[in-house]
Amino acid sequence: MKSLAALSLLTAALLVAQSPVSAPRPGGNMLISRAVPDAAAVERGQKIFIGNCAFCHGTTAQGGDSGPDLVRSALALDDERGDKIGPVIEQGRPGKGMPAFHLPADQIQDIAAFLRSRQQAAIDRTAYTILNVVTGDREKGREYFNGAGRCHTCHSPTSDLAGIAKKYDAVTLQSRFLYPRPRSSDATPIRPQVTVTPASGQSFSGTLDYLDDFNVAFRDASGEYHSFSRDAHVKVEVHDPLAAHAELLKKYTDADMHNVLAYLVTLK
Amino acid sequence: MKLTPVIFSPIALLMAGISLRAQGLDPAQLLKPPTNTWPTYNGDYSGRRFSPLARMNSSNVTAMTLAWEYRLDPGNGTLTSAIKSTPLEVNGVLYFTLPDHAWAVDARTGRQLWHYQWESHGGIHIGNRGFGMYGSWLYFETPDNYLISLNAKDGTERWHVEIADVKQEYFSTPAPIVIRNHIIVGVGGDSLDVPGYLESRDPETGQLQWRWNTTPRKGEPGAETWPNPEAMEHGGGMTWVPGTYDPELNLYYLGTGNPNPVMAGQGRKGENLWTCSIVALNPDTGKLAWYFQASPHDTHDWDAAETPVLIDGEVEGRPRKLLAQSSRNGYFFVLDRTNGKSILSKPFIDINWSKGLDAKGQPIGNPDKEPKPDGTLVIPALGGAANWPSPSFDPDTGLFYVNASSSYSVFYLTDTADKPEGYGGRDSGVYSTLALKAIDYRTGQIRWTHEYNRGGPSMGILTTAGKLLFTGDPSGNFIVYDPINGKTLWHAHLVSNVSNGPITYELDGRQYVVVGAGDTLYGFTLL
Repeated sequence: MKSLAALSLLTAALLVAQSPVSAPRPGGNMLISRAVPDAAAVERGQKIFIGNCAFCHGTTAQGGDSGPDLVRSALALDDERGDKIGPVIEQGRPGKGMPAFHLPADQIQDIAAFLRSRQQAAIDRTAYTILNVVTGDREKGREYFNGAGRCHTCHSPTSDLAGIAKKYDAVTLQSRFLYPRPRSSDATPIRPQVTVTPASGQSFSGTLDYLDDFNVAFRDASGEYHSFSRDAHVKVEVHDPLAAHAELLKKYTDADMHNVLAYLVTLK
Repeated sequence: MKLTPVIFSPIALLMAGISLRAQGLDPAQLLKPPTNTWPTYNGDYSGRRFSPLARMNSSNVTAMTLAWEYRLDPGNGTLTSAIKSTPLEVNGVLYFTLPDHAWAVDARTGRQLWHYQWESHGGIHIGNRGFGMYGSWLYFETPDNYLISLNAKDGTERWHVEIADVKQEYFSTPAPIVIRNHIIVGVGGDSLDVPGYLESRDPETGQLQWRWNTTPRKGEPGAETWPNPEAMEHGGGMTWVPGTYDPELNLYYLGTGNPNPVMAGQGRKGENLWTCSIVALNPDTGKLAWYFQASPHDTHDWDAAETPVLIDGEVEGRPRKLLAQSSRNGYFFVLDRTNGKSILSKPFIDINWSKGLDAKGQPIGNPDKEPKPDGTLVIPALGGAANWPSPSFDPDTGLFYVNASSSYSVFYLTDTADKPEGYGGRDSGVYSTLALKAIDYRTGQIRWTHEYNRGGPSMGILTTAGKLLFTGDPSGNFIVYDPINGKTLWHAHLVSNVSNGPITYELDGRQYVVVGAGDTLYGFTLL
């Protein structure tokens, strides 16, 4: 609705996600559907691999000048506990210059464990490490904070943001300042406030609990729940304290974003 | 032969009806707009998701009410996704799927007729888009990449064939599309740089008829858009949303998925054909007729897999065979579907990654907005401005409808090696809002917008000749809009967000609308 659009911008996180079904996540991760190898076997396998295989296949098993990539290898992916790579190791690939390696079965299984762990490290993008994000100019970030970004109209480095860099690592801090989506772990989550004025003319206010095109609900200062149907005679005014964050997303350059972060990480 | 009066008797007509039912799906139904059947993923081959039914219309839809609901019963199995499949409706029976599960329910009552469960060997259980049907046989794909054929009568399995190897990280979600005696199946999975392909399978045996690779092999046309054979053989390009078909041109239209490694493009310099493309294939041979690349050298996971909708329209006063797509990268594309030439390319949300269009009407990506080690803020987010949920085109209004997400992600490059693998990067979703948009296909102008003022997953859309538009909002409502101006006509709050594309059909003079939300299928009709 247009009137609502003018008043506020609400987020996906405003309301609890509604889904009665859940996905099975072996090991807590939907991306990894095969058994995760034993860590000790992976460690042993890595040593054996580096000693015997890395010269051609690279220390990370991603291939080298003379040996193919084994992380994306169809044969290595089909392997279960050495059943496919074992014969190759045992017999070599004489036509392709790979000699035979006579390794005991348990060592071949350890190599298989190491390769599976390398494959799963590539597959599991949720575990990728984000590299250094603090690349901006902190002085320019401070200027933006107090100038074009108008961050200082709501925030102060000596009050609400004091010590913010101790609370969050840099990657989290970048995400949090761009849009501090309310989280269940927040001590005092930032919630939109709403004032509802029905036809009677008496206004009610509280913390927004639910809003769609047809209904609005909130909790008042005492925690009581109130809900109203929305029609032409019911005025709904939402004040979203995070609206300025959403507006800024359209304006940031990447340099602004990096500079602000460089400034915020100094607030320890 | 002399006709005798007896064949005109009511009993004889009834018998004729029974024998027709026993024949399953009459293939002629696939060539007509959907009325008493919904025989394929999009209702017909056009992908318009427009029904000519008008018994339910803007003057009586306020009396639409619940006829039945069916809450999924997975037997001794578990539900792993919301209902994303579009049910088929044939001879009064609805057929639909979830990963590893399939059901038939009565289209008048929602009463379960049968349930089939597949014993899985793994794969990502993110969703399943439904069945294809050929005569009395049903076909669906599984997360562990089997094509399974069931007998529509009782849900018993006829056969299963493997179409991809789950150990290579493929998983399959699309609904097969049936064109004559071709069962067209696609595959998915972009975790570890496997190559995409589309296949045609024999309806009786499941045997391979042809395979089209979405990336070239050494020496083939298109190879010049990749740095080396290894890159193109690990180049991705999945085929995970059902395509559309023009019987007159005998061309199958498909949007292909993103290239691999997904976010790290440094090991695959070039345009990376035919990933992130709209392609036209001959369904008898799998030969490529033409292509249009929606995102050359994509690094944002922006599959161009969204439904290529076929529009018989007009451009500058001349009738034209067109194809329109609201693409994940935020562009609305209109092509001449006889040859793939661009008619218009125009963003349908505000985007910040494109430097404009090349001579072919394809977007030119801004290298500054490719993933960076310290992050770059990109609009739209990884999930895109649109995604697999079905748009709709209403020929009466001339408008193309899509639930569009204005969304932001920071894209990080995490693998800076010369030869990255897997995703090679990750995103951090920042913020999004969803809006229903009505786009004029002749200009790309947004005729009207209904803002939801919050983000959330996108939902499928259905339009009808009753001047109705059915879709969901991100707050769990199923809503009927006036397709002319976006005015709300009817709504109901369901158990969950609408999670599939709504369908409609008429049985015994009664029009039904069926929609899935989470674990429940709802049937609505007029009082």
